[in-house]
Amino acid sequence: MAKYGFIIDVDRCNGCYSCFLACKDEWIGNDHGELGAATAEGMNLMRVNEIEYGTHDKVKVDYVPIPCQHCKNAPCIAKRPDAFYARPDGLVILDPAKSADKDLLTACPYGCVQWNEAAGIAQKCNGCAHMLDAGEKQTRCSECCPNQALIFGDLDDPESEISKFAAEHAAELEDFQPAFKADGAVKYMYLPKPFICGEVTFEGEDVKGAKVTVTCDECGKEYTTETDFLGDFEVQGLPTNKPFTVKIEAEGCQPKVLTCRTAGSVNFGEIILEK
Amino acid sequence: MEKKITNKYKRLVSFSLMGPESGALCEVDCEDGKIIRINPYSYDKEYTDANCNPWHMEARGKTFDPPKRVNITHMGLCYKTRVYSPNRILYPMKRVDWDPEGERHPETRGISGYERISWEEAAKICANEIKRINKTYAPEAILCESDMHGEGKNVAPSHGCPNRMFSLTGGYTQQMRNMDSWEGWYWGAKHVWGCEPVGEMAPQANLIPDMAENSDGLFFWGCDPEVTPLGFGMKMPTLLCYWFTELGIKSIYICPDLNYGAAIHADKWIPVLPNTDTALQLAIAYQWLTNDTYDKEYIEKHTYGFDKFKAYVLGEEDGIPKTPKWASEKCGVPVWTIKALADYWAENKVSICHGNGGSYIRSPYATEPARLEVMLLGMQGLGNPGVHQCKLIEWNMWAANYPLPYTPEFVPAVPHICDAIRTVPGDIPSNIKMSRFPLSDAQKERAPEIVDLFEVLPGPKQYIPRCLVQTAIVDKHAEWMGMSCFATAGNPRPGNNRVPTVYDQFEKNVYPRPGMSRIHMIWSTAPCNVTCWNDGFKFQKAYRDPEIETFVIQHPWMENDCYFADLLLPVCTKHEMHDIGNDMSSGTYVSIYKEEPCIPPRGESVSDFDVCVKVLEQFGPEYVKAYTGDLSEEERVRFFYKASGCEERMSFEEWNEKKIFVVPVSKEAKDAVPGLGDFAKDPEEYPLETPTGLLEYSSSNIEKFMPEDTERPPVPHWVEKGPWHDERLSSERAEKYPLLCMSNHGRWRIHAQCDDIPWSREVETMKIKGEDGYLYEPCWLNPKEAEKRGIKHGDIVKVFNERGIVLCGAYVTERLIEQTCYVDHGSRLDPIIPGEVDRGGAINNISPTNPIGKNSTGMATSGFLCDVQKVTEEDWAEWKSKAPWAFERHYDKAFGVCVEGWMKDYENGDNYHG
Repeated sequence: MAKYGFIIDVDRCNGCYSCFLACKDEWIGNDHGELGAATAEGMNLMRVNEIEYGTHDKVKVDYVPIPCQHCKNAPCIAKRPDAFYARPDGLVILDPAKSADKDLLTACPYGCVQWNEAAGIAQKCNGCAHMLDAGEKQTRCSECCPNQALIFGDLDDPESEISKFAAEHAAELEDFQPAFKADGAVKYMYLPKPFICGEVTFEGEDVKGAKVTVTCDECGKEYTTETDFLGDFEVQGLPTNKPFTVKIEAEGCQPKVLTCRTAGSVNFGEIILEK
Repeated sequence: MEKKITNKYKRLVSFSLMGPESGALCEVDCEDGKIIRINPYSYDKEYTDANCNPWHMEARGKTFDPPKRVNITHMGLCYKTRVYSPNRILYPMKRVDWDPEGERHPETRGISGYERISWEEAAKICANEIKRINKTYAPEAILCESDMHGEGKNVAPSHGCPNRMFSLTGGYTQQMRNMDSWEGWYWGAKHVWGCEPVGEMAPQANLIPDMAENSDGLFFWGCDPEVTPLGFGMKMPTLLCYWFTELGIKSIYICPDLNYGAAIHADKWIPVLPNTDTALQLAIAYQWLTNDTYDKEYIEKHTYGFDKFKAYVLGEEDGIPKTPKWASEKCGVPVWTIKALADYWAENKVSICHGNGGSYIRSPYATEPARLEVMLLGMQGLGNPGVHQCKLIEWNMWAANYPLPYTPEFVPAVPHICDAIRTVPGDIPSNIKMSRFPLSDAQKERAPEIVDLFEVLPGPKQYIPRCLVQTAIVDKHAEWMGMSCFATAGNPRPGNNRVPTVYDQFEKNVYPRPGMSRIHMIWSTAPCNVTCWNDGFKFQKAYRDPEIETFVIQHPWMENDCYFADLLLPVCTKHEMHDIGNDMSSGTYVSIYKEEPCIPPRGESVSDFDVCVKVLEQFGPEYVKAYTGDLSEEERVRFFYKASGCEERMSFEEWNEKKIFVVPVSKEAKDAVPGLGDFAKDPEEYPLETPTGLLEYSSSNIEKFMPEDTERPPVPHWVEKGPWHDERLSSERAEKYPLLCMSNHGRWRIHAQCDDIPWSREVETMKIKGEDGYLYEPCWLNPKEAEKRGIKHGDIVKVFNERGIVLCGAYVTERLIEQTCYVDHGSRLDPIIPGEVDRGGAINNISPTNPIGKNSTGMATSGFLCDVQKVTEEDWAEWKSKAPWAFERHYDKAFGVCVEGWMKDYENGDNYHG
């Protein structure tokens, strides 16, 4: 028996929305029987969160695809076992015959259950169970992802691409919202996190190779980097809402110390060093 | 429940909206005459491993294997919505205000509605009008607007069919496509390095492997690899960009916006004000000249006129040294960044990547940044390992060897019927082969059945460059330089290229030609002039001009120019017909495949080819025979395969069964010398196509033919203002219009196509929902510019200048430099007041009327002045009182403006998801 899982590598996602669009292609107007009714225009069983963070001109964009997380401790099943069920392969299904109930929308903390106004039913991603049952090896979203940013497969098969990938990146995998303690079959890598950056100049020129030390004032963890050929530095992947001290040292200049809090990303802009 | 009996079948259909060429291959699942889903096609690895010499690249200890799955784009995935779109033109339609026997009411074009008529009536009207115009004026009074970039098809192409028809009925005036998306390269760079036919670097052989091994940094200068390559239907550039990063190569994006490529791949983003790259480039040259950090030996051996260039940069010519400080004030890049960038470039091997299009290369005076780019590359040893200009698009087009080593061991020569871009006989010296799709001797020998079909018919009587059609009609006169033909590729059809030499650019041309008629009738298969070409509002005025008595459009969808047509003829999509497809450019393999109908043609639509058959039937059977060669669509597929040369490698029967022939990769492909490597090594033995054979820092041709040109002088200059354009922030106009509008190809469209896909319209970078529920085209604004104007994200705004008003939805973002607004071209027109106010966000409506320079006949559709303000209650009230009908038209909340809104007594009966 297969045990299906997804890995979404946010670093490899180019925001083409192919997963989102392929999912619509699969569901809008196409009925899949006991495993899911056709959806209507405007519905997205796969959503994509587009996140712009940082400030001009040190700004980043990340795209986070969000299908049903097919949780092992599924909050939806806990809340409404009458309508949701887990298959032995791990995919969580909302039974179309029992879905004419708007209250089902509240069963998923990720907001993965949507309302089909025309049909009067609640719907969600079924992990393309109807295709897997017909012998396909991939879901529509994984099949159409051009960059291997969305990997799908059988975690019980140690030779599968996803098993190998999961083993290699075990330390980096996390749930989209760990606080839900739902243990999704969908795991994420490189979810967007705050960064601290700035551009270091001295007497009107960029300073290359200045040493930059970023220290968390709470836990003492240190991150070090150097300014690059444009005098820029950047420390990524920081915890949210923590106080930090940033120290900049360059030969022939006074060290400079700055402080900030990662309420969001922090862009110090031009940092002028003095003799 | 009773089990349904189903009839399931699969079809191969390409996705390409860059016709004539077809593109990346999709697999379409159908059931009971309905399209169920569209998936990427996967090459059969077992077969290709054994038979097709799969290619791969190695660099710095890492390997790149091309995907066996064809990376079709998001537009290809959604194509079902276009086939079933409620915006399809399903029946012949006539504008209710237009009576060919009585009043024609040109003034209500863009306002009045349509009614359904029969095919018989439509064909009769068309034939009568052609005969009447021929008799009343002359055949050249018919303008044929049919050139390129519809769906890619070969046996019944999107463009060229009416040209073929008019060749039989007496003649026509050709709308000559200007060299679009190559403006600066064609009119500028060509004068530095030759590189016929388009002025981008050629050859491009093996550039990607060379850059992977040898480049330290890649500049994506005004380039978005996540946008412009998509028209050909593939995402190989995305994979390559990830690989470059994996190899440790720095990706540096120089552009006004953190574009879609930069957002994902950039190590550095250097924001620059739109169309000020020239200043930045001159300052980089200044840094190198004053710091002695350029390749003097290379310059000595490889260049002409360097001293004149040097004199201009250092200020010896005009007293203004082009210092980083001078440049910074113009381009908005800090002085220290300019210096650091110049140093980086001098210390590292840098190549520059492009993907056509973009603000950088299609702005006023685009010749100058294009020329300077080549010169800067020259100063760092252009053609040496790791120093190139590389295209991430059109890999198969300009040379026998491709930038990726997938060059096929033989190039399938699939014929293409109907030449959409004919030259006027006599315009071009007879030693230049101008017929674009003739049969080669080999093709004739293989498939004698189609020899008659390819008999060369008479060409057009005169031509107008597409970027001057609106001016020619409204002003009744136009003059321009060059553009007597559109340069096209040698591949994939060897021997079929036409190469206008640079000398064409020094020929003056005029409309109307002496003794010839002006235009009185228009026939179009490319109805996007109002949104894709320059000064779209003037195009609308042209289409409403009283001299235009008849306007016919054949097209699958009701959009853009269609609202101005008197007759609309329904065309089917690729998914409803037979064809022979060729995947030349997705980059894994070259393949030839059999395309078959997924569903029957919707409504009364027929192929573009058959539209003209219906009209020619009115002229008589001899016309139909001459036009069709007595061959059906399926017979054309059969014999085109025979002519292609593939049949010698795979029998028709086998191809018919397998549906695809994958051409093995040439084993020698990887051995071709990268780029201009030969020229770099030995310029005497391997000269460029310039008069001197060298890189010309002062163009010897411009010195000779037009040395007084102040807009494109022999040495490229920073042109603050010129006779043709006044579009800088320093202009007096900037007091009223203080923003520079930049425009690129759309992320979610291919020019005008795919603006109606309801699924991508839900993405905010595609459309923004206004408070009135209408989905507006996004207008990017920096938060500081938005705040100055009291604009919030999602507000309905007007983008405007003297040329008119375009409505958009404000997209407030840190991803754009200040003093700029950014709107992609190609959004569908939704005219409130035709020629004045557009709700659809077609930004080219307010782009400059004039070509990029007085002597450079390209279009300037980016880098122009405008302002952005919130739409006020007074604005709405004024427009609603002037044009109430524009607000009463039906609007589909998913698809947007639709055919229903333009129908009198709408009765479709074949609705989406019917």
